[in-house]
Amino acid sequence: MVNGCGGPAGFAGACIAGLLVFASIFAPLIAPYDPVAVSIIDKLMEPDAAHWMGTDQSGRDVLSRVIWGSRASLAVAGFAVLIGVTLGVAIGLFATWVRGSWLEQAIMRVLEAVSSIPILIWAIALVGIFGVRDAQWGPFIVSSETKLLVLLGLLYIPTLARLTYVSALGEVGANYVAARRLQGVGELGILFSDVLPNCLSPVIVQATLLLAIGIIVEAAVSFVGLGVQPPTPSWGNMLASGRDYLISGEWWLSVFPGAAISLTVVAFNLLGDGLRDRFDPRHSTSMGYAT
Amino acid sequence: MTSLLLRRLGFSLFSLVVVSLLLFVLTRSIPESPARIVLGDDATAAQIAAFDRDHGLDQPIVVQYAAWLERVVLAGDLGQSFTTGLSMNRQIADTFPVTMELVVVAFVVASMLSIVLGTLSAFYRDSPIDYFARLLAVLGVSIPGFWLALVLILTFAVDLDWFPPGGFVPLSEGLGPHLLSIALPCFCLAVFYLAVITRMTRSSLLEVLNQDYMRTARASGLGRGRLLMYAMRNALLPVVTIAGVSFGHMFGWALIIEQIFNIGGMSRALLTAINQRDYFMVQTVVMVFTIVFVLANLLADLVNAWLNPRLAAVAS
Repeated sequence: MVNGCGGPAGFAGACIAGLLVFASIFAPLIAPYDPVAVSIIDKLMEPDAAHWMGTDQSGRDVLSRVIWGSRASLAVAGFAVLIGVTLGVAIGLFATWVRGSWLEQAIMRVLEAVSSIPILIWAIALVGIFGVRDAQWGPFIVSSETKLLVLLGLLYIPTLARLTYVSALGEVGANYVAARRLQGVGELGILFSDVLPNCLSPVIVQATLLLAIGIIVEAAVSFVGLGVQPPTPSWGNMLASGRDYLISGEWWLSVFPGAAISLTVVAFNLLGDGLRDRFDPRHSTSMGYAT
Repeated sequence: MTSLLLRRLGFSLFSLVVVSLLLFVLTRSIPESPARIVLGDDATAAQIAAFDRDHGLDQPIVVQYAAWLERVVLAGDLGQSFTTGLSMNRQIADTFPVTMELVVVAFVVASMLSIVLGTLSAFYRDSPIDYFARLLAVLGVSIPGFWLALVLILTFAVDLDWFPPGGFVPLSEGLGPHLLSIALPCFCLAVFYLAVITRMTRSSLLEVLNQDYMRTARASGLGRGRLLMYAMRNALLPVVTIAGVSFGHMFGWALIIEQIFNIGGMSRALLTAINQRDYFMVQTVVMVFTIVFVLANLLADLVNAWLNPRLAAVAS
């Protein structure tokens, strides 16, 4: 179990991440108070036995809001990675499938070019362009949270597609692939049943590190008021409203959500680095969650 | 060398064209038209058509892009904002230097300190300084800069009152106040990259020090300084690449840091434009960021080619 995560540090990361996911799924049961229940009499109370993390300017329990806030962070980070991995792997495999043609060249050059996009700025700008308010799209109501996770997922594609392409290209030249070909298996069949499983490990490592990036980007975008909209709690928008109370001394409004972000980011980074050590011990230095 | 330079330059230009085209299409694919935003909900269809015609918005998107590219590249004119009517060159000129200063100061501090620290850490492996560097590297990548900023404001500006809690004091009001006003934001920006570059310098240098040619150099009695010089030339390659990428990323993070410290740089330009639904200004700001990012990477490649002539030889 410990070795599966690449050592004790990776295991610790997996445990913390697991706890956070658990807390976000069971938030209604775990949170001691209603995260949006306003109670002006209780406003700005310091942390005590009743409110472990104090209360905010509207008397809402900060601990409950931090627990509920994990939902927004983890949902954005998780679904964005899911979108990025699905489409990125598909595009990477497609480029491998059409290798040797002009299409492969075109796909790879364009992917390289769009890799020069700084994710954070684009996420902020695109959410800004597509609007913060809920949008009606057919029968669906698209919240700014959903917009953010879709856009972030799309921004992840170049990295993941290139990663898949590079490792898949290494695999298609291997002997076992030649053997499968001689057995009469079609090229697409080989790609999905033999090549894909063998090039997933770098993708999994990268996906874990991208989870950490997603947490940070969600917090940053909500911090500038373009992500999750109040009163729904998110760590980013809690930090933003807590900022106004910092100078007057109500430190608990911003310190606890900030600590939650740090803890989550550390957890995913430890897990990602651990998995990297396990799958690819030679490259144990990473860039971490730089966006 | 020239061949490598041309290739990298060509690729950078290609990147910029692809990315700007993407951005151009995205900003023009939003449901509400600029005419609606500027003229309001009760504008007639004729007024909207006239607005679109005046601003060339009725043209096919490729024609619009070509016209935009021609104006930007040949005349250096970013155009005017539709909603405010202000010149975008002017707005960028007002805000860009502020952000640039923050990033450059943070970058220089981060890269100088980290290369020294990473080198010491690799040379004196498992000594106290190595432990210190590794601890710093772990802490630095784990603490999000914007949270660190809040904690620093709380400690050094609110409790201790050493620094102002926010705001930007221009250089014209004195060097001392100016430096005090940018110290905390620069520190917050620098910490993460200090950690990343230290880590990269350390691991890259350790790898080079274990190579056979370094053992030979040591065995033939070269002094410490000479050894360091040979090792650094090889070890710096990945460090320079990471530093180049870091510079671009720092620009992105400066956006958030500026918000926290209430500094009127590019972040204000971007967020004001978003709030005013001034999409062409948003496009311009994002394009400026992307250009900086691409240029920083290009510069890192060129420094690498200069450090290691083998790279240039492979390219030609």
